[in-house]
Amino acid sequence: MECVVQGIIETQHVEALEILLQGLCGVHRERLRIHEICLKSGPNIGSVSSEVRLLCDLEKPDPTWTVKHIGGAMRGAGAEQISVLVRNMVESKASKNVLRLFYALGYKLDHEQLRVGFAFHFHRGAPITVTVSSINKMLKLHATDEAVPVTPGIQLVEVTAPATSENYAEVVAAVSSFCEYLAPLLHLSKPGVSTGVVPTAAAAAASLMSDGGGTPL
Amino acid sequence: MQYLSSQISVLDKMPLKWVLHWQPNPGTTVNSQILNEVSQCVESLNGVKDGRWKATLTLYKPMLKEQSLAAEFPRDFLGISFPDQPNKYYFIIRGQRLVLEADSTIQIIMEKLQSYKSRVTLNFEGVQYLLGDFQLRVGKVVPNNSESLRGIFMEVEYLPISSIEKSRPIMEEFIDIWQEAVSKRSLPGHFMQIEPNFAEYGLSDHYTSQHTAVQYATVMAQIATVQSVQAVRN
Repeated sequence: MECVVQGIIETQHVEALEILLQGLCGVHRERLRIHEICLKSGPNIGSVSSEVRLLCDLEKPDPTWTVKHIGGAMRGAGAEQISVLVRNMVESKASKNVLRLFYALGYKLDHEQLRVGFAFHFHRGAPITVTVSSINKMLKLHATDEAVPVTPGIQLVEVTAPATSENYAEVVAAVSSFCEYLAPLLHLSKPGVSTGVVPTAAAAAASLMSDGGGTPL
Repeated sequence: MQYLSSQISVLDKMPLKWVLHWQPNPGTTVNSQILNEVSQCVESLNGVKDGRWKATLTLYKPMLKEQSLAAEFPRDFLGISFPDQPNKYYFIIRGQRLVLEADSTIQIIMEKLQSYKSRVTLNFEGVQYLLGDFQLRVGKVVPNNSESLRGIFMEVEYLPISSIEKSRPIMEEFIDIWQEAVSKRSLPGHFMQIEPNFAEYGLSDHYTSQHTAVQYATVMAQIATVQSVQAVRN
């Protein structure tokens, strides 16, 4: 399982967000360049239609592959009341021919994208990852070198934390609490619930840029 | 897009293994007495028992909406786990010369996808012996939750070298000594090694667990062939 929230920020304020995250997390950012390939099961295979994502980390000297399956979100009145999405998620590292394997098993390419940006990994009540990235589409199959932004001038911010059925309440609390610190710059909500950019972003960014993130917002 | 086409893996390093299977003489079948004799043979070579060992091999079948479409999907899709790599899982499609190494969590992902399910699970289980620079694993191939003997296997591990070509003379010499020891017992069959063409799987001379997975898949295919021949005879 994982807890996840998303938001968007204008590219002009990303530097301020990075300064804020650096101050909050106390760790250095890591560069992010991920080729994400989304596959769907062919029409004749499987009792239900299924979807799997293959992520190739292009920042590593020898690119590494991860298979990711995102399952259903937690349901019920309790789940609706919290501002963080809790969903099933399983990941597995895999060797380089994983795309060939899934094609051989009858999976088809649905879409692919390139995420370019940076990430912070840190512990704050729970192990949390914040990624800030632009989503790019490929004009030709697998042509990551010629990718173009899907939404120019806008970047996606995602906060995730691994959880279990036993501890998700604490993880949700940790993620929610962390998100409050980012509120002046961006609003984070459950994936699919678009809240747009926040009106205070420009002023908050200007403040951060002027004092390097030393003053709490 | 080099990373999309290359298959050479440098995920892990390990000693080198040869996996052999018992090939019964025509008209004979494997039985537990042969396994007992083979085990005594290892002990006669001063092999020291070093615990038990079990690898698990699962043959998957596609979950089809129409059975008539089965030909579109691989019939030889295997998954293998080894006790010396507890956090890893290996997928093989022999017909397409494809081997994949993944974390063991890939099994959970496959379950969730509901596109393939287990057709049969075979355990390769037996005793591990130490013999100088070699480790020998001798045991039976049995379906999960059954004692029905499907075959006998032997795994020879040579610890000091990871290069297949450099170790070949040493391995061949060891196998010669072993075959001679077994032949003295006049058993109705012999151990056979069918070395896969690792290069076809994109694997290099440097030995990895993926090589082992490919060898087990080959042994599995041989055992299935022997059984189908016996079934025709019977």
